[in-house]
Amino acid sequence: MGWQGILNSSGILFAGFVGTVVLSIATIVTGTILGLLVAVLRTAHIRGLGVPLRIYLEVFRGSPLLVQMLFIYFGAAYLGLRFVETFTAALIALTLYEGALISEIFRAGIEAVPKGQREASRSLGLSRVQIERYVILPQTATIVLPPLVGQYIGLVKDTALAAAIGYFELVREGQAIIDRIGMPIEVFAVVSVIYFVICYPMSLFARRLELRTLHP
Amino acid sequence: MSMIELRNVHKRFDELEVLKGIDLTVEKGEVVIIIGASGSGKSTMLRVINNLEPIQAGEVWVSGVPVHDPKRADEVHRIAGMVFQQFNLFPHLTALRNVTLALRKVKKMSGAEANEAGRAALARVGLAEKADAYPSEMSGGQQQRVAIARSLAMEPEIMLFDEATSALDPELVGEVTGVMRQLAKEGMTMLVVTHEMGFARDVGDRVVFIDEGLIAEQGKPAVLFTNPSNPRTQQFLHRVLDR
Repeated sequence: MGWQGILNSSGILFAGFVGTVVLSIATIVTGTILGLLVAVLRTAHIRGLGVPLRIYLEVFRGSPLLVQMLFIYFGAAYLGLRFVETFTAALIALTLYEGALISEIFRAGIEAVPKGQREASRSLGLSRVQIERYVILPQTATIVLPPLVGQYIGLVKDTALAAAIGYFELVREGQAIIDRIGMPIEVFAVVSVIYFVICYPMSLFARRLELRTLHP
Repeated sequence: MSMIELRNVHKRFDELEVLKGIDLTVEKGEVVIIIGASGSGKSTMLRVINNLEPIQAGEVWVSGVPVHDPKRADEVHRIAGMVFQQFNLFPHLTALRNVTLALRKVKKMSGAEANEAGRAALARVGLAEKADAYPSEMSGGQQQRVAIARSLAMEPEIMLFDEATSALDPELVGEVTGVMRQLAKEGMTMLVVTHEMGFARDVGDRVVFIDEGLIAEQGKPAVLFTNPSNPRTQQFLHRVLDR
């Protein structure tokens, strides 16, 4: 046994790696879309939307992701929504939570664009949607990219909480190995290294983006 | 029908009343210069005409469009072009793309049509060779001329200038006022908020002096500059001309 046991379990660890990566990528896509949408709607100051969006933001930013995940998973079961399996529940919870945090990153970027840009665009007859798409958002890209990638790194690690509702990702698979062969320290050390291997390149990328923003 | 007509326009920012009942009529082809101290409400009046600020009372008509009616206010943007103190060029687009964006998205021109119209507009302000330059690669005067070209390309009936030369180094003012003089000569209806008294005297058909949210005096430049009747106008002109 010993390290040989962990080596023999590499298939299980790989399955966990795939589970983590799939959930991370799915959440990056859905969370970014939601965050962008919320940020654009909030900064557009549309009457009647401000309060509901603010409530969404504060609720999901202000409560633990683990609680949200359990709430959605068991809440769906309670309501008899059988199609909500662990992956779906984890994705919904992560999307709502990360979307709230990402929306604040986009909002900061949008508000950093001088208001004269909007005024000039309106004077030219561009519509609200056209102004966001062709004038504002392209200018926010360099501002939001570094913090956005930083948020994605946190997001990858947040997917570990999906283990609590039984989704098979790295932590959950690691636990499964420990159940068979013990050695929790060694197994979790390996799991940590795998997380690091996923996150470190993202961290380097964020650092490069940041330097490029500071010294264009 | 007048090109611009303001009737008893009131504008408040919270407690502060900036426009206290403005009446103004501008005819087609007229060049009207707006002068007044900072904070007098002259820029606000221009912004009200261009639907950038809502008003609390009164009516604003621009070439038949009721700008005071929120449902129809946006129509003014097809009629009026505006040039800002801070240029407000789109920094992520080249000069040509700055000019063609609205041609493609608002006028729905094809890429080729828009490029042709855009190059023509840049040529009109003497910047044909800067088509591929980004705003950060141009001087302030060049940027402001691109901003003028961007508005002109949309073929507006009226041009609004909000302190278009105030952010420029003194030696760059001339190239921008030169373009404005040319426009006036071509018969464009212009409303110009400015501190350039020489330009006002040469180009203006009429000078309007705004003081504390009201039109205190207006008249032909020759008369208003040499023989103002209102003591407030006298004071103001004394301050700006005898610097």
